[in-house]
Amino acid sequence: MEQSEHLEHTETPSNMKQQIWKTFWILFALTIIDIGLYFMLLSTHSMLKNYLFIALGIVKAFYIVAIFMHMKFERKWLVNFIVYPMLFVVFLVILMLIEGDFTGLVR
Amino acid sequence: MANSTTLTTGKQNIWGGGKSPFSVSYGKLMMWIFLLSDAFTFSSLLTAYGFIRYSFPSSQPNEIVKPMSHLSDQFVEEMQHAGLFSAEHWPLPELVFNHFPFLHGIHLPLFFVSLMTFVLIFSSVTMVLAVEAGHRMAKKEVANYMVLTILGGAAFLGCQAWEWTQFITEGATLHGNPFGPTAFAALFFIVTGFHGFHVFSGVVLNIIIYINVLAGTYEKRGHYEMVEKVGLYWHFVDLVWVFVFTFFYLI
Repeated sequence: MEQSEHLEHTETPSNMKQQIWKTFWILFALTIIDIGLYFMLLSTHSMLKNYLFIALGIVKAFYIVAIFMHMKFERKWLVNFIVYPMLFVVFLVILMLIEGDFTGLVR
Repeated sequence: MANSTTLTTGKQNIWGGGKSPFSVSYGKLMMWIFLLSDAFTFSSLLTAYGFIRYSFPSSQPNEIVKPMSHLSDQFVEEMQHAGLFSAEHWPLPELVFNHFPFLHGIHLPLFFVSLMTFVLIFSSVTMVLAVEAGHRMAKKEVANYMVLTILGGAAFLGCQAWEWTQFITEGATLHGNPFGPTAFAALFFIVTGFHGFHVFSGVVLNIIIYINVLAGTYEKRGHYEMVEKVGLYWHFVDLVWVFVFTFFYLI
């Protein structure tokens, strides 16, 4: 029973190994780009730079979750079930950035 | 008739008991739920960081300290005199995290933490390769990749211990530091500490899994799903590090 249930959902593609290494090189390159950008933009201080780094972080997160955590091959509602609650975090971040700005003004 | 049969089978497949609506096993679904709650915990910590970070202005240097240049023993005092390290400004990470083991006296901003990032990404790769080998029931390969994953995790923890030691030696504590606002070091210790504790737990879990692989527990069970479940946790730890790295060292 356990075994058949397990085998049933293995929708892992046959070229998984290839995909794993491809993902590794993507993550490697993105981290290099991160560090490179950091040094290139050392003298710039804008919020835009921060958004750029966060966007790169989200791209890296996407690859880790999709390939390494196998999310790309799971049922659609499992994906929704995990991703939708994260919208609360987006809400919290927006809220706290507004608050942080205000705290800076009154300090 | 044919239609109703399909419907019944469909119903049984989805809700008939014994099978998951998401076509994953109970254990995996619960691991996902745990990771979601853990993601909330880390999000609140990182958002707290963002909030405090955003309420302080960044220090604005007149000139950039060149990488690979000489790093004097009074570097922190020099920065304080230059006004770059003060309680009113958030310090620039490249001026704080600029040490590398065995390369004393050279300004190497963010080099060490980049190395730590690569170590963790690589251990994530070996973990997913162990999972892949588990699908093929290749016991020996799973065991080998588990060893590499454990070594990667241990290497990361070692790096973090070194970084903490360096940071503490320079005078950073939970209630004060020579670089900037009190919250700067406090948040660093709390967030990287909490993440490090996750890495430590992950290494312990990986060791347990490794012993079970060697003992042939999963071979007898007929599948290596436990490797996948612990793998999910391990990748999550890597995922969190991506954001800790972004927030603490780049922003």
